[in-house]
Amino acid sequence: MPDSLPAPAPTMDGVVAAYRNYVSGQLDTLTGQALSLKASIGNNSLEVARRQWLDAQMTWQRVGAAYGSFGDLGSAINGLPSGLPKGSADPGFTGLHRLEYGLFHGQGPAELAAVASKLYADVVELHGKLPTMELAGSDMPLRCHEILEDSLRDNLSGNNDQGSGMALALTSADLDGTRVVLALMRTLVDTLSPGYTAKVTATLDRLGNALARTQDQGTWPAWRTLPLAARQPVTGALGAALESLAYVPALFSTDD
Amino acid sequence: MTSNPTTPPRPGRRSFLIGAGSGAAVTALAATAANAAIHSSPSATPASATAPAVPFHGATQAGVYRPADQQRQACFASFRVLATTKAELKTLLQVLTAQGVKLSTGVRAADPVPAESLPAIAGGPPQNSGVLGEDVPPDSFTMTVGLAASVFDNPAFGLAGKKPKGLTEMTVFPNDTPDPAWTGGDLLLQLCADSTDMVHYALREITKATRGLLALSWKINGFHSAPRPAGTPRNLFGYKDGIANPAQDEQLVWITQGSGQPDWAVGGTFIVVRLIRMLVEFWDRVGLGEQDGMIGRHRVSGAPLGAVKETDVPDYANDPDGQNIPLDAHIRMANPRTKATDASRLLRRGYNYDLGVDLNGNMQAGLIFASFQRDIKAQFEATQLRLVNEPMTDYIEPFGGGYFIGLPGVTAANGFLGEGLFA
Ligand code: HEM
Repeated sequence: MPDSLPAPAPTMDGVVAAYRNYVSGQLDTLTGQALSLKASIGNNSLEVARRQWLDAQMTWQRVGAAYGSFGDLGSAINGLPSGLPKGSADPGFTGLHRLEYGLFHGQGPAELAAVASKLYADVVELHGKLPTMELAGSDMPLRCHEILEDSLRDNLSGNNDQGSGMALALTSADLDGTRVVLALMRTLVDTLSPGYTAKVTATLDRLGNALARTQDQGTWPAWRTLPLAARQPVTGALGAALESLAYVPALFSTDD
Repeated sequence: MTSNPTTPPRPGRRSFLIGAGSGAAVTALAATAANAAIHSSPSATPASATAPAVPFHGATQAGVYRPADQQRQACFASFRVLATTKAELKTLLQVLTAQGVKLSTGVRAADPVPAESLPAIAGGPPQNSGVLGEDVPPDSFTMTVGLAASVFDNPAFGLAGKKPKGLTEMTVFPNDTPDPAWTGGDLLLQLCADSTDMVHYALREITKATRGLLALSWKINGFHSAPRPAGTPRNLFGYKDGIANPAQDEQLVWITQGSGQPDWAVGGTFIVVRLIRMLVEFWDRVGLGEQDGMIGRHRVSGAPLGAVKETDVPDYANDPDGQNIPLDAHIRMANPRTKATDASRLLRRGYNYDLGVDLNGNMQAGLIFASFQRDIKAQFEATQLRLVNEPMTDYIEPFGGGYFIGLPGVTAANGFLGEGLFA
């Protein structure tokens, strides 16, 4: 969880600028994490690498890069094997999830060192391009709800899981990212609908509590190992949050 | 990279005008949506004159004896209650009531929406999924709500003192193989209508309105066949099913003042749902005489063995050795028609289901057995225990279901299901 939420911006231009700033900070962090991950894999410290992968993956989730916002570089960093001719064995499968796959399927430096190096290079490249990247103000309200829609569709469904079972951890990082975007837009949202961020925040808090209650002494259980009764409070709270987040884009919409 | 306040920067998935929008009241959450919708009027006119509306309001819930002819389609859905306080549980029941009223009445798109049910924010996702088009017909829709023992046992709700007597978890009978994925739950919805899309629509509306308060644990859809060729519809063994059922005035179904149940439960009924797989391929390899003997009725007519019409009453007194209707025939064991067993009769209102394929390529099909009674032990369990070793046992596999207290009906316009629990 980010230590503190950013201050709201007064205009959508301000939101975009502040968000870019925030992403830059996250990419700083990710750069360091990718470098450590590369080192651990190179040194065959795979137990350490598995923990570092999770840290790095969570940082990426916190960026809130919903629906392909970073184009090809985004896919190189966070792509999945689906749609690739050879699936998880496809050379086009790279990045964080490729490392997850290898680290949780008995692979080591022989298979993963090159992947880790490329991940590091891709993160550095993305960071370098960030200042000139197109970030549309119109995406911000959508991002506000899409990040957690992705949690449900991709993480909690198991679709993204390459063997770690860490859907809960990823969802909690998605929640962090959502809170940041919402915080940046607070002034705009509350001007259009007084008090709405507080309502949304209440549902996000409930989700945060439900997530926290699944933790066992600070570690996340594998999502699929939880019985339905333990998953329902999380998916229920997420569902309620999504129903309220679904109205954020409408506030800024000219449709209808 | 920036957005201009007047020209949307990019005609993407949606277009945006930054800074526009109305300061509409905000509801979006189930709890708030609830407050809006509880005030729906019970006397609203149905959305379509041709499709019948079954009144939601009444001293007892719909979907049991009302409408008299069981609808053609059903969904049995079991939920975990996620409400964590008594107040949230109340909100949940209010939201369900509002949904039941709305869906039973139907909705005409052109009708003005009452201010309090307006969406949180104008221009949001459509209020109607569109599955039924813009006008939602009543389509004989009924929603029947039941609560399991677990709700009364949950200390967060403080309802231990209101727990109906005899409401337990479902008993595991000798031939049962309960699958946890299909068993139990805190809250049951029996949704019935005359079309499959209406049943789907209703469940979708209800789950949306209760997001965060209810979590769907299992659901199964069923169908009640057309009469073939006439009379009572047939089940998937090919036999007319639902012929012998107690009438409402026999008083075997509704909880009354004298039932020894908490006052709030008067007008309620106990609901038993049993998901029973039927091994249809196996059944189809059995001779007709043996099939008839197992059921105790002629397959063609539905008449008791030796009789002519389905409405003919079996005469066990004059057939003490089972020459005509075997002593172990399903109908004879289920209801021996003696003084001693008379009070154990119950109302059956089941649906056929047809799911996928099993491990070995056999069809997963069977019966959603649903019965209504004022006393689970004295009626359902007594009947089930008589049936434990009936010959039909070899052809069926009970694998799920649950016991629930069907709530009393709602009579007051501003009343809600389970109101007596909060008195
Ligand atoms: C897949 C399982 C079952 C099948 C295929 C089945 C089938 C039938 C059929 C064909 C009839 C005759 C028509 C009628 O009167 O409706 C009947 C009657 C009846 N069944 Fe079942 N049944 C099943 C399970 C049950 C269960 C679980 C119970 C209760 C524990 C039950 C209780 C009764 C009763 C009470 C009658 C009416 C007997 C009478 O009053 O003459 N049945 N059933």
